[in-house]
Amino acid sequence: MTTATIDVRLTGVRKSFGAVVAVNDVTLDIDRGTILSLLGPSGCGKTTTLRLIAGFEQPDTGDVYIRGKRVTAIPPYRRDFSMVFQSYALFPHLNVADNVAFGLRMRRIPSNDRAAAVKNALELVKLGAYADRHPRQLSGGQQQRVALARAIVVKPAVLLLDEPLGALDKMLREEMQVELRNLQQRLGITALFVTHDQEEALTLSDRVAVMRGGVIEQIGAPREIYDRPRSEFVAGFLGASNFLDGRVVARNAETAVVETPAGRVPVMVEAAAVGDKVRIAIRPERVRLTDAQGDGLPARIRNIVYRGPATHFYMDSAAGSLLSYRQNAAADDWSIGDEVRCTWDAASAVVVEPERA
Amino acid sequence: MTRGSAVGRTIRGSATAVAFALIIVPILIVVITAFSPGDYFEFPPRGLSTRWFVEFFRLKEMRNAFTLSLELALLAATLATIFGTMGALFLARRRGLLAGLLQSLFLAPLVFPTIILGVALLLLYKTIGMPVFPGLLLAHCIIGMPYGFRTVLASAQALDPALEEAGQSLGAGPVRTLFVVTLPLVWQGVVSGWLFAFIVSFGELNTALFLTGPGLTTLPIEIFSYLQFQGSQLVIAAASTLQIALIVVMVTAIERIVGMGRIIRAR
Amino acid sequence: MKRAWAWALLVPPLAMTLLLFVGPLMYLFWVSVHEASPSELYGHAFTLHNYVEVIGDSFYLAIIRRTLGVAAAILGCCLLIGYPVAYFVALQPARRRTYVLLLLLFPLMVSNVVRAYGWVAILGRRGVLNTSLRELGIIDAPLDLLYTTEAVVVGLMTILLPYMVISIANTLSTLDRRYEEAAQALGAGPVRTFLHVTLPLSTPGVASGMLLVFLLTLSAYVTITLLGGPRSKLLVSMIYDGVTAFQWPHAAALAFVLLALALMLTALILAVLRPGRVEGTGR
Repeated sequence: MTTATIDVRLTGVRKSFGAVVAVNDVTLDIDRGTILSLLGPSGCGKTTTLRLIAGFEQPDTGDVYIRGKRVTAIPPYRRDFSMVFQSYALFPHLNVADNVAFGLRMRRIPSNDRAAAVKNALELVKLGAYADRHPRQLSGGQQQRVALARAIVVKPAVLLLDEPLGALDKMLREEMQVELRNLQQRLGITALFVTHDQEEALTLSDRVAVMRGGVIEQIGAPREIYDRPRSEFVAGFLGASNFLDGRVVARNAETAVVETPAGRVPVMVEAAAVGDKVRIAIRPERVRLTDAQGDGLPARIRNIVYRGPATHFYMDSAAGSLLSYRQNAAADDWSIGDEVRCTWDAASAVVVEPERA
Repeated sequence: MTRGSAVGRTIRGSATAVAFALIIVPILIVVITAFSPGDYFEFPPRGLSTRWFVEFFRLKEMRNAFTLSLELALLAATLATIFGTMGALFLARRRGLLAGLLQSLFLAPLVFPTIILGVALLLLYKTIGMPVFPGLLLAHCIIGMPYGFRTVLASAQALDPALEEAGQSLGAGPVRTLFVVTLPLVWQGVVSGWLFAFIVSFGELNTALFLTGPGLTTLPIEIFSYLQFQGSQLVIAAASTLQIALIVVMVTAIERIVGMGRIIRAR
Repeated sequence: MKRAWAWALLVPPLAMTLLLFVGPLMYLFWVSVHEASPSELYGHAFTLHNYVEVIGDSFYLAIIRRTLGVAAAILGCCLLIGYPVAYFVALQPARRRTYVLLLLLFPLMVSNVVRAYGWVAILGRRGVLNTSLRELGIIDAPLDLLYTTEAVVVGLMTILLPYMVISIANTLSTLDRRYEEAAQALGAGPVRTFLHVTLPLSTPGVASGMLLVFLLTLSAYVTITLLGGPRSKLLVSMIYDGVTAFQWPHAAALAFVLLALALMLTALILAVLRPGRVEGTGR
């Protein structure tokens, strides 16, 4: 652990709605100046977790701390946070400047300082000229920026973002993801970002927590959870993945060899012993194809799909179906029906917890 | 909806013509008669004159009735709207059996036969010795409350729930959120509710019938008494026309502020 | 935190409703089951005599029959005229429809006494109708049109017609055209489409229109008195007479008989039309 300050902490938080347990004994920290993303399918509890930090829901058990202060029993309007809502929730009866100034007014900041802070915030989101407009006169992307400006101008201990980019089209989304990240890093804001889009989570975050059924399945830096998923669910949720079943036949300190129905393959391993049945996951972009004379798992190309920057190769092998993404910079010349061999580095494959059927 | 056959169109067109005639013509006759110069009712009148309007303002009981109705309507509408708005804001986001029951309770005076309410209130007032004006005021308040309740409820439910949470996330407590976020966004419901409560009170008969007293009558009751006991004196036509004019003025004024569609949809 | 403020919102309107609506009605019922008293509002003894007297007496039963007959006639006319008008209104483009609805709404804001006066001016012995007929030479002596049950029906029907039209028009204008298009695709011409698709789907509007008109008919003392006179009294007139004669328990019982009639017919209308079936609460 570093000595960085922890701005948000949840300890053993549990929340049920009737018979449904939405958040089940969740513990997490957010370090100052970092973005933590809560990623998961709908109903996984990520939004409820966010609302528990905000104070719009009360936990059944457990505590919420903001900057070291226990806020579990404190109502939202007295907690040090601000929020960007999925629907933006801009006040329709106020213009842009008054919307942004709202939080400052509540904190009784004198009007001169307010005006300056508002101007500054609007410029940060590149809407300096729109101060007098009304929300209904703005496009979705512009409204989103105003919502952001309104939330950051109060310099909150934590910024909560509830799927804020959901309503934007793809190009605008990607643009906003980058801008959001830049802004956050520039201002050093601590943030919690809720999303169901794994690309978004990987782009924006310092750490990602993958949730399912009210529980955090895995938490870590984007690269770590992408390359080293611990369960089949996490592997599958973060992107496409190949899964192979087999038995460990040899191992050393870090790597092992697994015998699959189609042949032997290398894998990164931590705890599995020789003789254990395991499921391994390999990302398609790590699967290399060589011709039938080479090393590797034998497979037959069933389908080839051209995807612009990459081509997807769908293959069948004795160990199940396999998928490989090849960047089109390499001049592969395969056809459907070709017999190939699939190989990868040990470091590209991990042992994952299989899904209970 | 399909336009259907020519027969259908004829039926609809003629029914509409007949309906509008039946509905509007009696009112028109009253208004035109108010400008009649003669002593007795005749239609069409021989000329135009404002003598009966002058007569209206000359007669003390008419003046008093008009003033009383006006004061009563202003006060009752305001009270009714305040209470109706409070009830609506409480119930706006609530679901469940209790919320449903409360909503039905608050809307009940709309469909309940007001004549029975008038009888019940008179009985109560006689038992506790309630003076006339406050008694009338309270009666019109309870009758007018559902209008404000209904329109504000519709406005409040149409609001994005995230707006109130946004206010709270920025530090506004529940009371401030109410005044700074919610009320400014439902004000049109408040105003149109007030308008309906005013108009209903001004023209109300069934409770005023029982609850008015000697020297303290409302304009509609005064008109009714005249019609019952003094035949068709033309001053009644003037009184009626004034009431109609007041309504036209109010509806126009509110339409400017709130917009036509609002008034219709509020029904 | 939020809870306390929320209750502060509920208490005033709830208190008003309980003290000025529920309470007085309960008190009225209490009085209706006590015997009359010459000196006080009501006597001490508990009795059902007031109700028995009403339900058992042929005089009152005749009044009740007449009341129901008037209500039925008004409902029938309002439906017959009101439905085609509502259809017409619903077909108008949105902006014009708003103006038409406002034109229908406006008469409802004019006090009933004024509208009844209009009919007095039309039907009276020196009224518009009699004067025109005499001038056209169709009749010699004026007809006694006023102070009849028929006058009550005509007057009240025109007063309440806008309620029916607005109610049905609101439902018709929100009907999805695709239902009718589907019917036509299956071979139903305009008449059959109307009978089998449009009419049934408009049931909620028809039901609420009927309920509203019916309840207002029962309660319309002033119109009934002005147009019906002393010989065409309905149940509500009896209530008024009872109150002015200080016969409180009797008047109270009559009031609850009226209420019972209202409830029974409401249940009947809802059972026959079953609007819930259309609105998706379906049974």
